[in-house]
Amino acid sequence: MLDLYHWEPNGASGRVLIALEEKGLAYSSCYVDVLAFEQYRPELLELSERGEVPLLVHDGAAYTEASYLCEFLDEAFPSRPLLPSDARGRWEVRVWQKAVDDGFAASVSELAWQAYGGARGVGALAPGALCAAVERIPVEEGRELWRAAAAGLGEEQLARARSRVQEAVKKIEAQLTSAQWLAGAAYSLADVAVFPYFKYLPELCPGLVSDAATPHAMSWMRAVAARPAVRSALARGRVVDPFTVAAPGPEQVRWG
Amino acid sequence: MVELYFFQPLGSNSGRVFLALLEKGVAFTERELNGRAFEHLRPEYLAVNSRGQVPTLIHDGRIFTEGTAICEYIDDAFEGPPLRPRDPRERWSMRRWCRFIDSDLGRSLMMIHWNRIVPAFVGSRTREEVERILCGVPDPDRRRAWRRAYLQETPPAELEESQRRVAAASQRIEAALAGSPWIVGTRYSLADIDLFNFYAFVAEWSPQIVNDRLTPHTLAWIGRMRERPAVRELRARTRVPPSPAAAST
Repeated sequence: MLDLYHWEPNGASGRVLIALEEKGLAYSSCYVDVLAFEQYRPELLELSERGEVPLLVHDGAAYTEASYLCEFLDEAFPSRPLLPSDARGRWEVRVWQKAVDDGFAASVSELAWQAYGGARGVGALAPGALCAAVERIPVEEGRELWRAAAAGLGEEQLARARSRVQEAVKKIEAQLTSAQWLAGAAYSLADVAVFPYFKYLPELCPGLVSDAATPHAMSWMRAVAARPAVRSALARGRVVDPFTVAAPGPEQVRWG
Repeated sequence: MVELYFFQPLGSNSGRVFLALLEKGVAFTERELNGRAFEHLRPEYLAVNSRGQVPTLIHDGRIFTEGTAICEYIDDAFEGPPLRPRDPRERWSMRRWCRFIDSDLGRSLMMIHWNRIVPAFVGSRTREEVERILCGVPDPDRRRAWRRAYLQETPPAELEESQRRVAAASQRIEAALAGSPWIVGTRYSLADIDLFNFYAFVAEWSPQIVNDRLTPHTLAWIGRMRERPAVRELRARTRVPPSPAAAST
């Protein structure tokens, strides 16, 4: 029995939804509107005291953190593997997952929040009402994350996010120039980790990611998006295009 | 054929990979780099690790970077006692602990300690010499951290937040070790290897955080770690992190 609590199928929620669909596992999808702070409801805080989403419940136990959640799924349900069969390939997957967790995810999220978050994402709330709603969040880390996001990100922070994204895009394009997939010889959890952030970029950073600038990464992105499992995962949201909404988080690595 | 590039004194990233190799009984060639001479920024090492970071493992001519990923690779690729639990739930738990130790606790400790030791580390070099060295640090985040520590420009609020996180992590670690001899489940794993290398020296550096009144189970765990043959060998073959007094000389 698998219950997945998730938001729109972008970012971390997208990673876990795609992994579940790729493995062909039956699960019940529980949509959590993180822009309405539903992750801080008492029944969810009982499962994760910090209100983390995505969150998977399997046999009564809760699992969080997309990288380890996806590896758990692959190890607990071995059919349709998403990790390479050789040790070198698995190391490559973990290096990509770490790059996502160490900065690519946070940087794309910051740029997306700046572009879409404040105005469109929580558009129903006036600035004053947003601040009041943030102060009602029952988790300290959650309040801090949202206070910073509601106040708006500074230019220095956005410039750092842009340069981190630029570095990551360079690596992705270089890898895909000589290989079809990010790690090993086949589609893997590395592709699953990068895609739900990369998919934002042609709209968000058109000067950086386009058919002209990054042709190999663009055709990789289209190949991933065309996979039946990915199409099913992307249909689990409520908005037409999940890559035009954003929520604050995760945190950037605090010391280089 | 296995080679390991690392820094002395052994702790954090270099130490965990060194210890994982010893626990598995893998024979390897030591390639020590002198951090104070900035040997990790020389072209011959940048050809091995383009980010200029340690450790790097070479196995049969192939290059492996990133401490956490190297440790899993070592357990994956070599015979010897398993360093990860077999149960998928416990593996998930181990990986979360490793992430927490590396990213939350580890980065907080790194911020605090770099701010203490970097001025002594660069020694009598002039500001211009230091700036020239920093320009050679390939990773922009690492360069920024170095510069902040060197110029003592880390915002006090960020240092305070790191202190708060280290204290919170210490409570979390003590709670885990109160119920079990090892960090995850009933068996020794990569989470213990990481914690020993990132955190055990806090007992010496910060007795106000780790002591027999507040964290008796953590101290008992450090004692169990030091009895392990691989940890004895680690300490015999390398220098352990210096005391604060030594760092300030």
